Amino acid sequence: MRLVPRQLQRAGMTGNVPYYGGRFSPAQAYAAAHPSGPPVPPTTRARSHADTLAALQHLLDNGVITTPEYAEMRARVVA
Amino acid sequence: MGPVQVLVVGFDRPTFSGEVLAELTRLREAGIVRLVDLLLLSRAEDGTFETLAKPAGANADIGGLAAAVLGWPEGEANAESVLDSSSDDLTAWSLADVVPPGSAVAVALIEHIWATPLTEAIQRAGGNPLEETWLAPGDLEVLEALIIHRGR
Repeated sequence: MRLVPRQLQRAGMTGNVPYYGGRFSPAQAYAAAHPSGPPVPPTTRARSHADTLAALQHLLDNGVITTPEYAEMRARVVA
Repeated sequence: MGPVQVLVVGFDRPTFSGEVLAELTRLREAGIVRLVDLLLLSRAEDGTFETLAKPAGANADIGGLAAAVLGWPEGEANAESVLDSSSDDLTAWSLADVVPPGSAVAVALIEHIWATPLTEAIQRAGGNPLEETWLAPGDLEVLEALIIHRGR
């Protein structure tokens, strides 16, 4: 059976949470919904590590974790 | 009824494996989620959608609910059903947005049973949900490291 997609509205699990919170422009939202293709695993892995290290640095800079904690978790990430 | 998630998954062969269905069954028995319906679709290169054969052993009416909610049988569609891609309404979406031409997908409607009591509790407390999202893999990795480090 042929099916014509109908327009639906997004909603949040716990209520009508505004999706994207106004942070995305319509063009960005469209781009997010239309990725150009599947990510390449090695690149994704490298990016993930970079993001993790940046997040750890952020936690250290803001005093959430100590320098020894940062060093220990960084070693786990790069291992 | 609890909130229903629409899960659209692309497959080389358009089917939910026995392993996936077994896990959904386990979650249902635990009162966590319920598979409301499952629809298998293909999208041709010209953009048209076609429902596919039901999985082996599936109920005869499987896919009917999802098809009725997510689309219209050809010939019954009206102007309002056509997504205006130039619309600024970021909450609007359709299968045409997410399914690439020349692919096949399984579309699952999954009721999150656990969320109903939580939502009701939030409402009773006067809470106003402002955001729902998932942690990105990098942030999740940080969280896991912190949990392990703190022995929680």
